[in-house]
Amino acid sequence: MIRLAFRRLLMTPPVIFSIVTLVFFMTQLIPGDQARIAAGRDATIEQVEAMRIKLGLDSPLYIQFGQYLDRLLHGDLGTSVFTYRPVLTDLADVLPSSIELVCLAMIINLAISLPAAMLTAAYRGRRIDRTVRIFVLFGGTVPVFWLGLTLQNLFGARLQMLPIAGQHKSGEIVPRRTGATTVDSLLSGDFSIFLDSLTYVILPALTLSCAFIAVLTRTLRSSMIGVLDSDFVMVARAKGASNLRVLVRHALPNAAIPTLTIVGMQVGWMLGSTILVESIFGRQGIGSYAMTAVLQKDIFAVIAAVLILGIAFTLLNLIVDLLVPIIDPRLRRSHG
Amino acid sequence: MLDKSKISSQWGRLSWFEKGCFVGVISVIVLAVVGPWIAPHDPYFVDLDKSLLPPSSEHWFGTDVDGRDILSRLLFGARSTLLAPLGVIVFAASVGTVIGTIAALNPGVVDELIMRLCDVGLAFPALVLSIGLASALGPSLRSAIIALALTWWPGYARLVRSLVLEVTHKEFIESAKVLGVPRRKIVFRHILPNALNAMYVQTTIDVSAVILVISGLSFIGAGAQPPSSEWGAMVTSGRDYMLTGWWTVVVPGIAISLTAMLFNLSGDALRVLNDPTLKQSRG
Amino acid sequence: MLSSRPILEINNLSIDFRTKDGAERKVLENFNLRLYEGQRIAVVGESGSGKTVMASSILRLLPEAHSSGEILFKGENLMVATSRRVSEIRGAEIGMTFQDPLSSLNPIMTIGDQVSEVLRIRGVSKKEASDRTVVLLQELGIEDAPNRLNSYPYEFSGGMRQRVLLAMSVIASPSILIADEPTTALDVRVQAQVMATINQFTSKRNLATIFISHDLSVVAGFADYVVVMYAGRVVEEGPVDEIFYRPAHPYTRGLLDSIPSIDQSSEKRLNSIPGVTPEPGHRSSGCVFRDRCDSAQETCSAKAPELLTTGEKHLVRCHFPLLPLSTSRNMG
Repeated sequence: MIRLAFRRLLMTPPVIFSIVTLVFFMTQLIPGDQARIAAGRDATIEQVEAMRIKLGLDSPLYIQFGQYLDRLLHGDLGTSVFTYRPVLTDLADVLPSSIELVCLAMIINLAISLPAAMLTAAYRGRRIDRTVRIFVLFGGTVPVFWLGLTLQNLFGARLQMLPIAGQHKSGEIVPRRTGATTVDSLLSGDFSIFLDSLTYVILPALTLSCAFIAVLTRTLRSSMIGVLDSDFVMVARAKGASNLRVLVRHALPNAAIPTLTIVGMQVGWMLGSTILVESIFGRQGIGSYAMTAVLQKDIFAVIAAVLILGIAFTLLNLIVDLLVPIIDPRLRRSHG
Repeated sequence: MLDKSKISSQWGRLSWFEKGCFVGVISVIVLAVVGPWIAPHDPYFVDLDKSLLPPSSEHWFGTDVDGRDILSRLLFGARSTLLAPLGVIVFAASVGTVIGTIAALNPGVVDELIMRLCDVGLAFPALVLSIGLASALGPSLRSAIIALALTWWPGYARLVRSLVLEVTHKEFIESAKVLGVPRRKIVFRHILPNALNAMYVQTTIDVSAVILVISGLSFIGAGAQPPSSEWGAMVTSGRDYMLTGWWTVVVPGIAISLTAMLFNLSGDALRVLNDPTLKQSRG
Repeated sequence: MLSSRPILEINNLSIDFRTKDGAERKVLENFNLRLYEGQRIAVVGESGSGKTVMASSILRLLPEAHSSGEILFKGENLMVATSRRVSEIRGAEIGMTFQDPLSSLNPIMTIGDQVSEVLRIRGVSKKEASDRTVVLLQELGIEDAPNRLNSYPYEFSGGMRQRVLLAMSVIASPSILIADEPTTALDVRVQAQVMATINQFTSKRNLATIFISHDLSVVAGFADYVVVMYAGRVVEEGPVDEIFYRPAHPYTRGLLDSIPSIDQSSEKRLNSIPGVTPEPGHRSSGCVFRDRCDSAQETCSAKAPELLTTGEKHLVRCHFPLLPLSTSRNMG
């Protein structure tokens, strides 16, 4: 088992390296002269050339790549050609907000999928099974942006229950520790701001989670159905365990194991698809950051964004792969 | 691989609901094909006098801000909305099958390499790639299709690989080998047909997913551009008028959703047909 | 040993399964049983005889089955009891062990937890449940019990797992133990060991037991009373000596003959009863066994035989039993 984990660990850097390489050369395809964009529209030709030399854009591509890798290994993600700030700083500004969003979306996902899967598996074939499944399916096949717009319209504009956009009430100042308004307000002890910031995050998180809820519920449900038919579940009943206990203590843990991989991937996918929700609800985040960077041909920013997303995805998968044998005792040692 | 008698017997096993879904899918496809001919109005004609009319007998789904009939736009746009995912899936499935089969049949370095390649493909954020390609080639439905096709094939490669591996180790393949059947024949006549059975399910469900992603891309401007009548683009153009003309957003949204759902449910039905042990009684 | 009232009384239990198109498949017909305190009854039959369905139905473990009849446990009819009452009884008043020890144990739960669960869900403290588990496991022959509480099923051998299942079924000191083919999945040597353990344990506690098996030889040293089943019906029942030395039904005779004997010459073929048990739903009128019976005659196709007395507490269902029927009327 350790061997397998080791192998996976070993494979991760090459994968990440390939991602970086891919992105670097992909950004070269984007039209536009980077030096010119950086120098500004009104720059003179000399200024553009000076900028070109300054950014090292005059060297051949492979040298640029080498330089980039070198800096990367030293933790320098480069400087944005737009903000003139280190990309790392820019990222630190926007990433926490996305993480906040994804965390809440994942919590909502689990909070709905777990009971839904248990309910529909336990009452398979009955009316409640069909009703819940149709509901969940609906949430999953509705286009994300449409759902966001509708929710925004409904709760924000018409019912005025929740804010329409943004991340916090303007005028509220929260000492910035992590960049995620919810966490920061908790850390500074201001509970009312915490609650308030929650209202800003809840609609986007709900919108983001719907498609994932559909997939997770379905997967977990079919896994549960398989488990509920097994012998040990009947034995648990023969011991006098209540239906609820059988579901939660026996069926769910066994059914959850194969779905762990999916959950891991879902977190990665969520991170990668925040852009839609961010654009509708006016939030900052890595999605809009990446999009702007691409459109502005801000190479370092693009690479950094892709890097973060790619690494996050790969690492999450790695963690899940390492976690499964810990949870499933059968996989702990190679046995005959 | 399409066996007439088998199809008719399978059809009989479906519940009313499931049959309805298949009929629905076929209807949508048919509508996409004949749409332009049966549309009541010209989808491109701008008539500002008729801007943002609510649904009526003349305009079943109302008009948009430029006075264009939404129903007609829907019918015209069905083609691009449906063809795009089909293009993506066809590409991804074919490439994925080839690569996955190669990986499965050549364990060792080749397999490992291909798997890592798939890892890279899967880890690469699809949306960023789409935006990047949209930027490089100019945003259009075409750039979206290419981007998605490039991100989708690793999923198929992995799936086909595991399917082929599963079938390869089954005993009837072993006996074919022992009997001296040449390798190529084994692959094409025995392994592939069995492995690919499960693919139909995946492709149908994927069509549903791609429809949603492409319309999402159109929404953020990295896919079909207005005034295209691709349904996602229709939602984008209607976005600013949600309060005064909700039908401009709601109608195409429902169209996308319904289509996606029909494909999804049909895929589900296929899955149940394929594997009777999964029979989930729908009553 | 025998008190006046049976601790478990099954009256006219019939079970059938309905398929999706509404067809009925009768799995068990008019089954009757009386189990007295401390008594050991063996229920023997091939697969398809309905024995497992009967056993599982006592604790109402088959929700999809359609049953009629009564199951009286200490006078209380379990067929109409609330599900809460049934949950109370399961494990604590009637315990049951199952056939395949590997699939019958939760693979990701320690065996200590699984055994103590019976007590924990009834409010017993963690420590006490754990202690009692250790004591019981030791008694049942699992060595080094305290350290093995944290092991998982896959770490145990088949025989050990069966003992764990046994522990689970008796730890709450039930009045009845239902053992459904406890030795079938084990190899012969382990079978003998596990049987010895069960024997010892149940006699020490004078535990009333229903032992299900397809193997007559296994129950020989264990049971007081034997019930032979075929295709959903009881074809013969009686005290163990009667059944073994004076079988009255051709099927029982066939079962006994097919037990290989250690001193039989290796040239002699193993006896078996030709044919297979008919599927439920395909059972013909008349005697269910006639297609495989050497002595079948016309009456056997026309009329189904009743369960009638042939000796002291010995009943047989056959038109032409191997022993004469008694003249006094009986309560089959």
